[in-house]
Amino acid sequence: MSLAAWVRRARTPAPAPVAREYAYLEPADLFDMEIKDDPEASPVLCCTGDPAGAAAFQALWLKRIAGTGRYAASVSVRGQGGTPAADGGLEARAHDLVQAAVTVPRQTVLIGHKEGAAWAALAAGRYPAAALVLVSPQKVPKEPPTPVGGPPVLLVVAEAETQTKEVQAVADAYGIAPLTFAGSPDDVFKGAGAEGLLDAILSWLARKE
Amino acid sequence: MQEYSSQAAYDRGEAVCVIGAGAAGLIAVKNLRENGFEVDCYERDTVLGGLWNPQNQHSPLYPNTHLVTSRSQTEIPDFPMPDDWPDYPSSAQMLTYLTAYAKHFGLSEHIWYGSEISHVEPVEGSRFEVVVKPAAGNAARRLRYAAVIIATGHHWSPNLPSYPGLDQFRGTVLHSSQLKDPSRLRGKHVLVIGGGNSGTDIACEAAVNAASCTHSVRRGSWHLPKYLGGEPGDFALARVGGRPKFLRRFLTDRLLKGPASLAARMGIVPEGKPFAEEPVRNGRYMEHVGDGSIRRRGEVARFDGFDVAFADGTEIRPDLVVLATGYRPKFTSVDPKLLGIQDESPYPNLYARMFSPKMETLAVAGLVEPGVGVLPIVHWQTHAIAHWLLVRKSDPERAANFRVQVRTEAEQDTAPAGTSPRHRLAVDAATYLASLGRIIDTLEQEPAK
Repeated sequence: MSLAAWVRRARTPAPAPVAREYAYLEPADLFDMEIKDDPEASPVLCCTGDPAGAAAFQALWLKRIAGTGRYAASVSVRGQGGTPAADGGLEARAHDLVQAAVTVPRQTVLIGHKEGAAWAALAAGRYPAAALVLVSPQKVPKEPPTPVGGPPVLLVVAEAETQTKEVQAVADAYGIAPLTFAGSPDDVFKGAGAEGLLDAILSWLARKE
Repeated sequence: MQEYSSQAAYDRGEAVCVIGAGAAGLIAVKNLRENGFEVDCYERDTVLGGLWNPQNQHSPLYPNTHLVTSRSQTEIPDFPMPDDWPDYPSSAQMLTYLTAYAKHFGLSEHIWYGSEISHVEPVEGSRFEVVVKPAAGNAARRLRYAAVIIATGHHWSPNLPSYPGLDQFRGTVLHSSQLKDPSRLRGKHVLVIGGGNSGTDIACEAAVNAASCTHSVRRGSWHLPKYLGGEPGDFALARVGGRPKFLRRFLTDRLLKGPASLAARMGIVPEGKPFAEEPVRNGRYMEHVGDGSIRRRGEVARFDGFDVAFADGTEIRPDLVVLATGYRPKFTSVDPKLLGIQDESPYPNLYARMFSPKMETLAVAGLVEPGVGVLPIVHWQTHAIAHWLLVRKSDPERAANFRVQVRTEAEQDTAPAGTSPRHRLAVDAATYLASLGRIIDTLEQEPAK
């Protein structure tokens, strides 16, 4: 975040606060002797463009992430899941995500799915994320802000999307090559494809640290 | 130095030493770590949070301290405060916030508590030898660092005025930092000396708690309520700063018209232009002056047994005198010459208000009073310092050019004549931020390899 961007934001009225729905799972919550809490590993915070919001990650993602010893959390931005709707566009949703990120106990990884990737990209411009993961990004601004603190960025897309302009633009903006997963971009919360995707992300995170 | 020389200094290589674990120190540690530096932070006290922690023995907190700048203008740019907090958080919330910041970025493991720096000495050109004196035991340690950042703040060494007869005064005299508990005001006849933010806040506390409250003010300052035009005052004024230039004056005057006429009605004649120095921000004060629970008086002439005489000849008999006369900057460990401190003035002359004029690797964080929230300013200062240390290491030629730029910036920044000594640290926030922006741009032009 540049100083000029901060000055601009400090002069803009903040979005109306909402009571955000927040789901989290700590490794200890799994009641599994095999799973050890890893204090070195960064927590993970997920968001999605899916209207279910935080609840979408309950079935598979949170358990699987917590299973690697990480604190796993997901948040519903305004208008999703249990979070009341409120005014504000992309910026307000990015604000919700940053607000959720600062309540995570330690510096967190941001994972954004679909529109959630756009919010995560904006949030990473204001909050020094430990890493930024964009899954099948949609509606990401043409020039996303430079992530503060220089976190590693991962772009994961469905095989079908690799050639779309949107994905190309995001890949160019961050100067990274996308990783592909089998299956549809909407089908990331359940099933074999979802597990493969999640394992790819988690092994990338583990390698980065 | 005989007692230390028995053992050789431990060389910490490229690590940076940060002195103080208050707000500025924490931000400095975080920003240096983010740029890949190893950091050792030394805190004299046993707690973090500096002035915001009431357990700190040098804490300047007085009863019911709240921020005078609003949440959105005070939060650290990359770690916002929770958005369900009030516009003006309390000191307890500030401490919660700073603790959360330290925990979130894992800063505590780099802080050495109970370790006072007794001496900082330049060695081998640009490096520093630091003597750390632990609170318990006498085994001082000597360490060598590539750079030192002083973040000791300037709100811990009380500025105590001297009046004739003050030491023979028969009532109680306390500095604002010694007050701590509001019950000390209850039922007393209280005289508050000092018209700054702390004096005004304490006068308001005394107005509702004490038997009577007299407020002695030497000079008129600008009084602003905490809200202007339905918005937090500093936010409203910052927004005006974003408007086209020809409108700014008009919009500012319109916002300040109400508060200015109210102050005039209460007999307060502000000196100087509105933002030449930090204004007093308190919405309740005028109401208390208006209903007579605070009586304003001029300067104190002398103390006389149980009585206090004012310059206008009147006398009162207070039980408790609170000296809300502020603080003086004080540097205990560094040679004053390195900070450009001349003669008896406690105020350093730094390049861009942060870089030592003598040593390239010595910097001071947070020694400004910008009239807006200090935390964001410290964030950008330490951001600049961290980048400067990177550039200096990787590209000496650019570093030399940068040094010239900073010197010219420093020459443009001259204090307006006739400012109160209390306001020597005041800077115009917009000008200073613009200057910081230019500095950061220069440092970031090519990413340091």
